[in-house]
Amino acid sequence: MAIIVQTKELAQTIVASVVAGVGVTLVFSIAIWGAARFVDLNRSQRPVAAGAAAALGAVALAVTLATGVVGIVVMTSK
Amino acid sequence: MSSDLVLVIVVGTALAFDFTNGFHDTANVVATTISTRAARPQVAIGIASLLNFLGAFISISVAATVANDVVNADVITPTIVFAGLIGAIAWNLITWWLGLPSSSSHALIGGVVGSAVAAAGIDAVLAEGLVGKVLIPAVVAPVVAFLVAGLSIGIVYRIVGRQRPGPVTRGFRYGQVISGGLLALAHGTNDAQKTMGVITLALIANGTLGPNSDPPLWVIVSAATAIALGTYSGGWRIIRTTGTRIIKMDSAQGFSAQGAGAAVILASTHFGFPLSTTHVINGGVMGAGAGKRVSAVRWGVAGNIMVAWLLTLPAAAAIGAAAYGLSTVVGSGALGPVLVSLLFISVLVVAFTRREQGASVPAG
Repeated sequence: MAIIVQTKELAQTIVASVVAGVGVTLVFSIAIWGAARFVDLNRSQRPVAAGAAAALGAVALAVTLATGVVGIVVMTSK
Repeated sequence: MSSDLVLVIVVGTALAFDFTNGFHDTANVVATTISTRAARPQVAIGIASLLNFLGAFISISVAATVANDVVNADVITPTIVFAGLIGAIAWNLITWWLGLPSSSSHALIGGVVGSAVAAAGIDAVLAEGLVGKVLIPAVVAPVVAFLVAGLSIGIVYRIVGRQRPGPVTRGFRYGQVISGGLLALAHGTNDAQKTMGVITLALIANGTLGPNSDPPLWVIVSAATAIALGTYSGGWRIIRTTGTRIIKMDSAQGFSAQGAGAAVILASTHFGFPLSTTHVINGGVMGAGAGKRVSAVRWGVAGNIMVAWLLTLPAAAAIGAAAYGLSTVVGSGALGPVLVSLLFISVLVVAFTRREQGASVPAG
């Protein structure tokens, strides 16, 4: 039965899907949070905190894009 | 000469199937992007077509599965593949006609399995490949997409829930351009390969390619072109209906649903699982809806999808078997497939003519 079901490949597919799907959404949400906080903090004249939020957002955005590219390369290469 | 003619008919039929696959699935790929206004319909559909085309080039694992792991290539003939394709296209058109959601992928595999069994008995089916690489992943993948999208939207609301909605909505709309693009790429990768696999199977059956061969470049290019053209053509048709048929969702839900769908399809493609992209994407959309509010999901639609899923494989298999029987009534040459093609086209013309005449009658 284990041979027919291909348990290992199926488990790897599930793990990869969860990690990639949830991971990218998590990191992109942090990017959005950073951008939204930057706007609010900038309006409240808090440049240091605004800069930190912007930096966090920018890093998260870069990680999102990089994850997408790496994901495509890894998942489609064999 | 006779078998070459059958092969030409098979390739033409397979590419027609690929076109209808793209046509049929455009809504799945661009619906969330359009409904959240992340992109204008024309832009979303143009990008989806281009990325479907490109997606077809980045892997051949699924094509290898369809060509080598579902039915025994040693007993397959081009006529069997032809009959399988007729079964798939016929079931796609029947479900489209009745307004039932269905999977082109399951129809294709069901059609080929049905015609193979009709021709060579149950031994023609490779049970390990059919169960392990098609049936089990077909059940698991939409569930995973549902869970990933549900989990993702929960995380999104936890992180950005207290921020002002304006910047958050705009941000996720931009994100949807990327996640929608990934989904279109994933769709092209998995779905175009099924047609490549079927054409490759026919080429192997005809002796044009050796056993366990990969698809030649011309097969990849033609399958990519057919699905991209189908996606583009189907897109214009859905523009008019997009606003009424799609579940209303916010841009964060759209991003989560598309991200989940793309992740599941790309991961499955890596292992050569030929999925129903329709079911995966719908699983992601329902997960993103349920993650916000369980009652937001149209569970009746989910039930219809489940019924269609259960029916598609056996129904397409039955039509594929019948098409094989018809194709071989007049012998094993090219005459049978030619006659079945003409009969099929005639039925289509009559059906569409009647439908158009019905549609042109004022509703009163």
